[in-house]
Amino acid sequence: MTSDNPSVFLLMVNGQIEAADFPEYDDLYCKYCFVYGHDWAPTSGLEEGISQITSKGRGSRSLVWNFPLDISFKSTNPFGWPQIVVSVYGPDTFGNDVVRGYGAIHIPFTPGKHTKTIPMFVPESTSRLQKFTSWLMGRRPEFTDPKVVAQGDGREVTRVRSQGFVTIQFNIVTKDMKKLGYETTSEHSTATGLTKTSQKL
Amino acid sequence: MAELHIIGQIIGATGFPQNSLFCKWGVHTGGAWRLLSGLKEGQTQVDMPQTGDMAYWSHPIDLHYTTKGLQGWPKLHLQVWHQDSFGRCQLYGYGYIHIPSSPGQHRLQCVTWRPLGSWQDQLSEMFVGGGPQLRSPDLIYSGADRYRLHTVGMGTVELELCIFLRHFDRYGVES
Repeated sequence: MTSDNPSVFLLMVNGQIEAADFPEYDDLYCKYCFVYGHDWAPTSGLEEGISQITSKGRGSRSLVWNFPLDISFKSTNPFGWPQIVVSVYGPDTFGNDVVRGYGAIHIPFTPGKHTKTIPMFVPESTSRLQKFTSWLMGRRPEFTDPKVVAQGDGREVTRVRSQGFVTIQFNIVTKDMKKLGYETTSEHSTATGLTKTSQKL
Repeated sequence: MAELHIIGQIIGATGFPQNSLFCKWGVHTGGAWRLLSGLKEGQTQVDMPQTGDMAYWSHPIDLHYTTKGLQGWPKLHLQVWHQDSFGRCQLYGYGYIHIPSSPGQHRLQCVTWRPLGSWQDQLSEMFVGGGPQLRSPDLIYSGADRYRLHTVGMGTVELELCIFLRHFDRYGVES
């Protein structure tokens, strides 16, 4: 377990895709996958998954999945830090399965517990006619590869509409980042500024 | 040599008159910095939010710099544009922010401003749209030539960035 000169650092991710907030849609399920750079490799855990279908209860407005995430990565370089891409699907008025939102966020960078709420968006049709035909035929515009959502280039020509949120909880553990020379937290933030004083009574 | 990682995303923008927005961003550094990997400029998607006022882009930023000196610490500059239903693009604001110098996670708000023309320009802007723009984007992040400019404040852009520093302590740098 102990190594004096490590060449890789490890990132362990636990958590769950907790719930979604989509005011206009119901009966949704989600798919997740991880996108990472060339220097990263998953060492254990599942890289992709599909959740159950959830609906809003009578009184509550929240769509709960409670869907577990469990994966570990190893890497030599923080560049290409993994992102989780979540895609949410649900039925439309005619019963076809259509996409309700895509969203992506980086795995949190510092050890500890983090709760993230990510906005979900769908690609927008180019013209009103296409919007009508896609509503009629049940074939909405969607990305051929959801991993596009995690990339920065090529997005300048896409028009999207954001229409909901997904809440994800993460617990992060890192190993050997300090040994490799990476400073990930500021020293000033960890100092409490209190000094111990002893009093003789 | 010391290394700097900037990883995060441009979350979105709020407080603008209309909310069908996109953002062109770029990172500018001094001469001592070299970009090893990542894209240092880009343009986000156009977002039209269904509910609420905030336009969400979730645009990922992942940059790896190496440096020989502290001068010219990276600055992120951005331009927020509005695309209307006819496909015309109108400038809504310029803004810049320094990349944080302390390691860790930061939630940042970048304020933006827009150049204001004469009263005739403002009148035609009200009817037809458009408006004055800067001829060269250098002015967004430099203070050198601003004294003649008359501007008006616009909304804010939210970003979440995490900074990793490597080997800065070898050179005696405290941050």
